[in-house]
Amino acid sequence: MKIVDVQDLVFSFSSEGEPVINGVSITIMKDEIVGVLGPSGSGKSTMLRLIAGLEMPWQGSIYIAEKPVVADKLFVQPENRGVGMVFQDYALFPHMTVGENILFGLSRLPRKERKPRVAEMLELVKMGEFAERYPHELSGGQQQRIALARALAPKPNVLLMDEPFSNLDADLKAEIREDLRVILKKANITCMIVTHDRADVEAICDRSIEMGQREKIG
Amino acid sequence: MKRKLIGRSIRKEFNGWWAISLIGATVILLPILFVFSSLFFKPNENWFHIREYLLGTYVKETLILVISTGALTAILGVTLAWLVTMYDFPLKRFFRWALILPLAIPPYIAAYTYRSMLSYTGVIQATLRNEFGYQMNPEWLNISSLRGAVFIFTLFLYPYVFLITRSFLEHQSASFFENARLLGRKPFFIFLKVVLPLSRPAVVGGVVLVIYEVLSDYGVTSYFGIHTITTAIFQTWFGMYDVNTAMRLAAWLMLIVVGMFIIERLLRSRQRYHLPAKSRPLAAMKLKGMGAAAAFIYCTLVFLAGFFIPFVQLIAWAVLTFDKVWNDTFFTLVYQTLYVALISTLIIIVVAVIVANVCRKQTAVSYFLAKWITTGYSVPGAIIAIGVLAIFIGLDQWLAPIYEMMGMADAPLILSLSIVMLITGYVIRFMATGYNAIEVGFEKVGTKYTEASRMLGSGVTKTFFKVDLPMIKGAIFSGFILTFVEICKELPLALLLRPFNFETLSTKTYQFAKDERIHEASVSSLIIIAISALSIVVLQMVNKKVKE
Repeated sequence: MKIVDVQDLVFSFSSEGEPVINGVSITIMKDEIVGVLGPSGSGKSTMLRLIAGLEMPWQGSIYIAEKPVVADKLFVQPENRGVGMVFQDYALFPHMTVGENILFGLSRLPRKERKPRVAEMLELVKMGEFAERYPHELSGGQQQRIALARALAPKPNVLLMDEPFSNLDADLKAEIREDLRVILKKANITCMIVTHDRADVEAICDRSIEMGQREKIG
Repeated sequence: MKRKLIGRSIRKEFNGWWAISLIGATVILLPILFVFSSLFFKPNENWFHIREYLLGTYVKETLILVISTGALTAILGVTLAWLVTMYDFPLKRFFRWALILPLAIPPYIAAYTYRSMLSYTGVIQATLRNEFGYQMNPEWLNISSLRGAVFIFTLFLYPYVFLITRSFLEHQSASFFENARLLGRKPFFIFLKVVLPLSRPAVVGGVVLVIYEVLSDYGVTSYFGIHTITTAIFQTWFGMYDVNTAMRLAAWLMLIVVGMFIIERLLRSRQRYHLPAKSRPLAAMKLKGMGAAAAFIYCTLVFLAGFFIPFVQLIAWAVLTFDKVWNDTFFTLVYQTLYVALISTLIIIVVAVIVANVCRKQTAVSYFLAKWITTGYSVPGAIIAIGVLAIFIGLDQWLAPIYEMMGMADAPLILSLSIVMLITGYVIRFMATGYNAIEVGFEKVGTKYTEASRMLGSGVTKTFFKVDLPMIKGAIFSGFILTFVEICKELPLALLLRPFNFETLSTKTYQFAKDERIHEASVSSLIIIAISALSIVVLQMVNKKVKE
């Protein structure tokens, strides 16, 4: 099944400017982990934001799990797309504990199943005893794992990760890469990872996409 | 293609939040547009009379007042800001914030306090007469003049210039000044050739705030018998009940305001308040001997005249009249003031939060919406007052058949005699105060948390209550206090838009002063000053937080 299907996408930040994304098409199949590579300014983060619904393309269509989310007059709001995202600086809500952060995305789950799901997610990222902590009490790597757990908790169709390693110490990188790969495989999730480092892609991803060229890719 | 895109854009962005914002913005702009529309009505004979014999004086006195006050506040504000940032002298840290205090005394209170102190029976002449047997020519101390009004406005409004210039200088990189010093220049030369040109946008910004206050003023000018366009607007209404002529005058005043806008743009030219990101703060130079004494005396004089002396005088009067004033009538007064201010502030904050939330995504539409909703602040109170009044009278006429059906034909003025009219005026005038505070709050938080919440399945409204609102609590609090204080001390709108027999602290204070019952005005004056001081404390707290 095609989980992400992007066709002929065109996007620019202003009506006069050169398009950042010009006629890009991407297809991602179920359970694939795909890296999106490219120099800064090539529009790779923008690509994630378009798929997420945080920006609107000028032309082209986007299908998530074979349902249209952008096409013709249609625009599905981000909260209704079933897409999860881990932000570059994690964006964990500072006024909520770790547990509350994960619980936040579970409002569509029956009440009884929410608590067990939070516990299950904390278990998955090996942060079981941190449920009562606040985000600022965690290290960068721990914050990243909570952000991952929070994004996975609502069982999205696809997980988008924007530069997951840019805020981490270089010497921790190898270890965290390995952890991430294990978690993603265990969660059985389709995933798109934006990075500028080819080594990230080689360590985690099944295949990669290069952005910043005009021709069709994917 | 284009049409499809616009349709989709609306689908992406439009929701109930936008609808409420657009309605709010329309209500705010309506009275101001209505004032302009008066230019197309046929003028009546009152207008011809005013134009023929009076308008010249109104415009002349308004301009003299604005230009003199603007120039003098600039001098006072900049020199004081320069002293407390660049030099060390005795009590400098105290003066750094104490020189803001004159802002807590509304000019109309200062005006009657000073006039009374300087009068024949006032403390100065009485002391000279009784202690030294010296009979002074009362003309020398006559403050009820254009000169006197400039004196009052300068002394009690300069803190606007002082505050903005001070924070600008404190954020400047030390390297400019140190370079100038290393190049062998004397401090005075640096002040003239480096500091003044650099801080021009800040000074202009401060002076513009001062001029808005002066253009809006009714208390000082009417008390001193000065003829400005604002006093003329009020007299046309109170004396002749002629809304159309009053609106015509208001449109003239609006022209002056627009002219100022253009001058401000020109003076700032392309400069902005540019603050270098990482700058080493300036190390203050230690003043010695004569220099230190001069700086100390200068600051002390301004502080004494601008705060301490009138404040102590008010306390002395309050002690004399406390038992007479402090009764149930007075409590009603306080209650009514707080009640109206509270309702107006709540409306302002709710609307401001909704509009600011909508305007976080920067588009051409949101840019105009933000400008639009904050127009009230750059429009003098008298213009808003007369616009609101005209619209409410029009509404009553329009609703008259409905009143009749409801059996209220004998009371054809329902809305324009109700408290709703005053609250509407306050909301339009002070929306900007609340809005700006909340906008800053949203800017500091950024959009990432909101986006994260949307990605986790929460819609705009749920996201607002669960994520945005808890994060801008502080900004809402400071916006609330600042707006509340502005409303409590406001005079012209309250005078013109209040229901019959409805008094607030400021209208009652003004009434006492007008009836020459100066001493009795002191207790309510002190309460207004205390409330105003609250907003200064909040501003200082916010500034400190920003620095951290």
